[in-house]
Amino acid sequence: MAEDHVEADNAEAIIARIEHKSRKIESLLKQYRPVEALKTALEGSPPNTRDERCKSANWIMVHRAIMAIKDVDGMFSSLDPEYYDILMKYLYRGLSTGDRPTCDQCLRIHEKLTERAGLGCILRSLADTVNTV
Amino acid sequence: MVGANTLRLYLTCIRNTLDAAMCAASAVCHLQNFPCQEVERHNKPEVELKTSPELLLNPVLICRNEAEKCLIETSINSLRISLKVKQADELENILTKKFLRFLSMRAEAFQVLRRKPVQGYDISFLITNYHCEEMQKHKLIDFIVQFMEDIDKEISELKMSEHTRQAGGYRVS
Repeated sequence: MAEDHVEADNAEAIIARIEHKSRKIESLLKQYRPVEALKTALEGSPPNTRDERCKSANWIMVHRAIMAIKDVDGMFSSLDPEYYDILMKYLYRGLSTGDRPTCDQCLRIHEKLTERAGLGCILRSLADTVNTV
Repeated sequence: MVGANTLRLYLTCIRNTLDAAMCAASAVCHLQNFPCQEVERHNKPEVELKTSPELLLNPVLICRNEAEKCLIETSINSLRISLKVKQADELENILTKKFLRFLSMRAEAFQVLRRKPVQGYDISFLITNYHCEEMQKHKLIDFIVQFMEDIDKEISELKMSEHTRQAGGYRVS
């Protein structure tokens, strides 16, 4: 019981943080800095919360940033490898939506990300059942 | 051609994911031989039984669009692949069913066809450790990806020739 209460508090705090992040992201997108926006969205992703609202809230932001990327190859020249694993997890979330434009974009990025990061990156997103997005 | 490019990206994603899924299952298998914890001597496919959650990896759903998707479910000793193929109209529906039936027979030769597709899908394949050689598993992945490419191409061609035939009929009369 007490654990649920703590979890709920954390969820509220997390969502507040996400809303704060989303304003920063919108600003970066307006300045045509989609890769910065993506990094911001991916940073501090709350994968170790079980709260679906937190996951969804973060996904909405990551999705926004992903869809704003026009130059996928260019993106990789400024995206550090430390972001690869978390990005891969979000790509699979995007691919599961069935929304055509989202799937198109995620398929495009998935091909390039796999070329860069290798099958190990995919393997980790399959095997990590604890930190999910 | 946009359509052809999404198909290529879709199949590439599926192939890469399957390659990784096989590594994931193998890697853990090589570390520990996982007999079924309940039944001695028999290795039942965990992806079907789902008896122990710790033996399942994250399932992955790869959608090309609203109508076409591929579900990949991985476990310690088995891999289940389910496909939903485009069926936008009655003609595509009929052609798809015919083609699926034809290819199902070939899949049976590989012994990977699941008798009934998973709910919501047109066809399902089950790859277990009985297909034990690495080479054989890669051949299976090649077969499945080729299968998907063939369905797409075949349906487009059959549709085109069907429309030509009908148009020809009208012109003659």
